[in-house]
Amino acid sequence: MIIALAQISPVLGDVDKNVRLHLEIIDKARKEKAGLVVFPELSLTGYNLRDLAAEVAFLPKKDKHFRELLSISRAVDLVFGFVEEDQGGLIYNTAAYLSRGRPLHLHRKVYLPTFGMFDEARFFAPGKDVLTFDSPLGRTGLMICREFLHLSAGYLLQAGGAGMVIVISAAPGRGASQGRGFDTSRMWELMGEALSFFSSAFVIYCNRAGFEDGMAFAGGSFVFSPTGRLLARAAYAEKDFLLVEVDPEQVRRARRRWPWVRDDKPEVILQALQKILGGHED
Amino acid sequence: MKIDCAFLVRVLSGFIRQELGKAGFQKGLLGLSGGLDSSVCAALAAKALGPKNVLGLILPYGDSFPQDVKDATSLARRLGIRSRLLDIAPMVDSYFRMIPSQDRTLRGNKMARERMSILYDFSAREKALILGTSNKTELLIGYGTLHGDMACAVNPLGDLFKTQVRRLAEHLRLPENIRKKKPTAGLWPGQTDEGEIGLSYEELDEILYRLVDLRQTKAEVAAQGFERKKVERIIGLIKNSEFKRQMPPIAKISSRTIGHDFLYPYDWGK
Repeated sequence: MIIALAQISPVLGDVDKNVRLHLEIIDKARKEKAGLVVFPELSLTGYNLRDLAAEVAFLPKKDKHFRELLSISRAVDLVFGFVEEDQGGLIYNTAAYLSRGRPLHLHRKVYLPTFGMFDEARFFAPGKDVLTFDSPLGRTGLMICREFLHLSAGYLLQAGGAGMVIVISAAPGRGASQGRGFDTSRMWELMGEALSFFSSAFVIYCNRAGFEDGMAFAGGSFVFSPTGRLLARAAYAEKDFLLVEVDPEQVRRARRRWPWVRDDKPEVILQALQKILGGHED
Repeated sequence: MKIDCAFLVRVLSGFIRQELGKAGFQKGLLGLSGGLDSSVCAALAAKALGPKNVLGLILPYGDSFPQDVKDATSLARRLGIRSRLLDIAPMVDSYFRMIPSQDRTLRGNKMARERMSILYDFSAREKALILGTSNKTELLIGYGTLHGDMACAVNPLGDLFKTQVRRLAEHLRLPENIRKKKPTAGLWPGQTDEGEIGLSYEELDEILYRLVDLRQTKAEVAAQGFERKKVERIIGLIKNSEFKRQMPPIAKISSRTIGHDFLYPYDWGK
């Protein structure tokens, strides 16, 4: 399947304009025969929303934009980010996977960076699950930006059997000492290489570009193969559009060669975690 | 402290182009002093917006700094940007005739604010946004006039130390006399930044980088061979100038107050 990565720069707080931007990119991707289009974190709203977060939030079932994207997903799978409101009025930083007219999975960001330049836990409620699901690409997992940098989140997707890890991101760049994009792009690539190799899974990382309130988003979206090979990378710190052919069969081949996943022991992890957490309560 | 100049030029010119574009502007303007920071900013703006979309205002007080006026004029010509020369002496002198003072700082601040007032007037006349030229060093120690040279719409240089701006100037191949010029706020003839601050920019930047970027303590910085007194003085300068880096506090009365819990992004809807 051909996957399109849309390294866009959404308009901050204007869902209408961003939906139109999504539709343009989806058209372009379909002309290239893409079976899946991946957009960045909060692609329908922009990232640094602050008090706007509550104003752009919607209940997926009731929202006209969401329904429009659902109907487009009959022709092409979509992954994008938005502010999700739940029945109780809480709002989440959510990633959606839509396919064949159905929402296959909604992932609410569990790890909300709240330090330094980040303030997410002030505006969003945290998600509670890191679960996998079946998509046309096989067993799939979604992560949102910072979650990818937590070994635990990647491990949970591995334990859930994911052969396809899709990360949507709005990662600002910091440090400009090396000349290959922002210095912080290295840490995402490091994790991409490590997680793809050691969990024998594709890692599809879609970051954004543009500026919000002076923050420069680092771009550099990438795809790693299940053997830890970099298949493609988008431009650093500017808008881009990347097409990558992905063959899910490679996951099986990689797992035969290096049985990391087979030899993993989730039940031992569970018991060990219970001991560690129990120990803290003493 | 290391920077990759080619990448930074790409990011900063993208920043200028996109920030102005999002606000609906194609043109930028800035005050050209003939010094390092405004020259680098003008060069970045010319790359970002196209030279014809950049206006450099050269705003000397009489002919107190003739060399700087020459340098600013020739830089504008070299970059191909538009420029305009306006003497601020008549406005400043008429004020001080009414309310005399010989205090150099007070007079210098008045001049900086006179230039600001002209820049904002031209911003409206030309439908152009003002590009700030304050660097990280002077912003951190508060070496600038509030509502004077610090006033701007966007600031591409505010996260670069002075010595990094100098490296950017080399990369941009700005004329040597601008790069090698002793930095001055131009408040009075003979004034130099380093003379007034009492430290070289090299040393000041090394200390600031450790304190701010690396979050080192006073003791940690001093242990690396920097004079403890200097480190303490710099910490004092940072602390005492915080008011220049923030919006003034609003007395909180209601349940939702600007700056406290009315929190919208600067780029709202852009």
